[in-house]
Amino acid sequence: MSTPTISTHRPSLPDGAMVLPPTLQLQALLTIIRDEKTQRTSDRIIRLLVEEGLNHLPVVPKTVKTPVGADYEGVSFQGRICGVSIMRAGLRDCCRSATEQPPYLQILIQRDEETVQPKLFYAKLPDDISERYVLLLDPMLATGGSCMKAIEVLLSHGVKEERIIFLNLIAAPEGIHNVCSKFPKLRLITAWVDQGLDNHSYIIPGLGDFGDRYFL
Amino acid sequence: MSSPSAEASSSSRTRQPNRFSAKGKNVVMTSHGRLPWYSPEGKNIEAYVIGIAGGSASGKTSVARAILSALNYVPTVLILSQDSFYRKHTQEEIDLAFKSDLDLDHPDSIDTALFAKCLADLKQGRACEIPVYSFVHHQRMPETKYLYGANVIIVEGIMALQSADMRALYDLKVFVNCDSDLMLARRIKRDVKERGRDVDGILDQYLRFVKASYDNFVQPSSKHADIIVPGSSNQLAIDLLVSHIKDQLDNRSLRFRSRLGRDGQSRPLANGKTQVTPSNNTTHTFGDTDEDSGVILLEQTAQLQGIMTILRDCETERGDFIFYADRLSTMIVEKALSLLPHEPHRVQTPVGMSTEGTISMQEDLVGVSILRSGGPFSHGLRRVVRDVPLGAMLIQSDPKTGEPILLSLDLPQSVKNGETSKTVRALLLDSQMGTGAAAMMAIRVLLDHGVPESNIIFLAFLISRRGLTTIRRAFPSVQVVTAAIDPDLYEMHLPLGNAVLGEAAGEGDYSITVVEHDTLGLQRLNLKGDGGDSGFEAGSSLEGYRIDNQNPNQVIDSDRPDSGSGSGFGERRDAGQETWSPTKQQVEELKFSRDRKDSMKEVKQKRAWVVSPGMGHIGDRYYLA
Repeated sequence: MSTPTISTHRPSLPDGAMVLPPTLQLQALLTIIRDEKTQRTSDRIIRLLVEEGLNHLPVVPKTVKTPVGADYEGVSFQGRICGVSIMRAGLRDCCRSATEQPPYLQILIQRDEETVQPKLFYAKLPDDISERYVLLLDPMLATGGSCMKAIEVLLSHGVKEERIIFLNLIAAPEGIHNVCSKFPKLRLITAWVDQGLDNHSYIIPGLGDFGDRYFL
Repeated sequence: MSSPSAEASSSSRTRQPNRFSAKGKNVVMTSHGRLPWYSPEGKNIEAYVIGIAGGSASGKTSVARAILSALNYVPTVLILSQDSFYRKHTQEEIDLAFKSDLDLDHPDSIDTALFAKCLADLKQGRACEIPVYSFVHHQRMPETKYLYGANVIIVEGIMALQSADMRALYDLKVFVNCDSDLMLARRIKRDVKERGRDVDGILDQYLRFVKASYDNFVQPSSKHADIIVPGSSNQLAIDLLVSHIKDQLDNRSLRFRSRLGRDGQSRPLANGKTQVTPSNNTTHTFGDTDEDSGVILLEQTAQLQGIMTILRDCETERGDFIFYADRLSTMIVEKALSLLPHEPHRVQTPVGMSTEGTISMQEDLVGVSILRSGGPFSHGLRRVVRDVPLGAMLIQSDPKTGEPILLSLDLPQSVKNGETSKTVRALLLDSQMGTGAAAMMAIRVLLDHGVPESNIIFLAFLISRRGLTTIRRAFPSVQVVTAAIDPDLYEMHLPLGNAVLGEAAGEGDYSITVVEHDTLGLQRLNLKGDGGDSGFEAGSSLEGYRIDNQNPNQVIDSDRPDSGSGSGFGERRDAGQETWSPTKQQVEELKFSRDRKDSMKEVKQKRAWVVSPGMGHIGDRYYLA
């Protein structure tokens, strides 16, 4: 798929990944949510991400009659979708403002304190999920562990890899490479690629723990 | 310029002024709404200003009010009293004033510079804040009074003709001449009755200040007057005055929506519609022409096209329509906000790192929606910027002429204030732009309040290429953000369904014109034998606006009944350089003197300019079940 214009300081991305156009507006929004004094203003970026994600769904030509009686050659959305958010529902509300029909579901994946590996705690997915396109929502992509675990859950329910669109607010290059090399057919859309990870696998400069900042 | 029939109809008019606002001598009379006060090029046409001077208690106010009531058909008439412009006094002067020892009858007691500036602003059509003077406190009050949108301004005061700066602004200078004894008698009566003063005090003040002032300043200023009106038994004089003013006003009246719509060639379609296509190449794609340079078209992604398909589909249910309209407005607002300036901004992240970002300069941002169809946009704007000040203007179409009318104005405080409006960035929200007439009116309102043209961003779901041309030509610095540019603009006959339409039948940019059925035939007849050429003489010009010889398409309405060209509704027009001009039957409509009584009588259908393929009436589809 095509890679949009990315400013020069960015690392090169795998084929399946794309970044939102780095407009000043987007930078301003990120500046706000990065600021440790800020609370809950990420909705606008998430909406931009969802809109971009929806752009990757297929459409078919459709001609409609407008109220003034003219024909308009437009397109119609095809394929049903399903939104799945990892852990806290931060992205779900915003996703709903962009598309109303699909079911919104959650997968709870947390780090198992014994094995230090991401572990699936809870997943309730619709029966027909294997026929749907899935918008997988996770605000922060650090090493990609929980994201990959969630993708595995989806695949085990019969979802086709190329029908998964992973939406992400801020990503570390390591996470992008991990996810995209393991799932080359998946599409990954992020708003921003940060410098990298620190010793504790936190994204830097990042914005801290998204869930805590969004909900607490 | 005026036809006899128009005169007859204007003199038989019975409508009373709807509202006298403001206590005291400053009177604003507003009628049903305000017709365009600017040329099709977007330039303001000056208000008509009348200066009335005369001695104290000579009858200036009654002359002013007599003119006011005679002009009750003019959208907005303002009486501006000199009393508002007394200088700010020192404490010493206030003490004198309470002892009736302050000379308020000397020309120097008036803040002439401020008076002239306010009047010049109002005359140019700009919003203005005038001072408030209290005779109770004998002082200028801290508050000001906001005035905007007068087509006629009457200035009255004893010193109205005194200053050369003021005189230069008047279109008509009137002096009310009254016998001194009569004036003194009236003054005593008035001051005793209305101001609770005693006769000794009044006479004392009269002999010390008023008489001297009248003899030295007021009476001599009568030499500047165009007309001297007696201060009593003056009905005939007022009638003459009023009929002169009416002639002057009618020559300035405006009417140009049809022109905006017809400014191109039209061809009749099989289904009885008239299609107007731009005179330039209709098949060109976005970005071909200069006029596209200020237009930001949303990227035409599959998702956007899908949304547009749903919105355009006449079978879309209301719930879906609202959902997708909200979603689209959010996308357009996001795009518009990315046009705002940004500055670098450094913040500390919770992981302890400092990072360089940007900050959007949004403090001066306001949203103004053009009701009703701009309503959906304010939801979108609120979703994106929660605390943005929102304003609204109600612009609808006159049912008879199809002209846009400004019916109501509710602007954010930062726009109303002349100081802060200079830095305001305004998002003007409307769902679609057809002829561009409503958009032009809304932009003109913002400009009149001092918002810089380059700070205005117009947002719409879709616009017609014709409307875009109009706006780009009139206001090249205004940016337009939209999801689609539709090629066609039709004038359609729609059955006039419901009587709820009231006086203003449609939204400004759905541009509905009501046509009386029987006059249609007359107009058609009138067109016979018309050579297709407009018959304008080179260089001829009308008061208020000029005919552009370079570009005949620039010509707007001519009041001349003999210059009939293809103006019939739905009539085939010859391609090329024809211009639109009214036929005899329509001359009457061109006047300010609109005759409302029968405007809805026997109306069987309305005419509407519609964008095609368009989305239909967005306000109705959004708000009506």
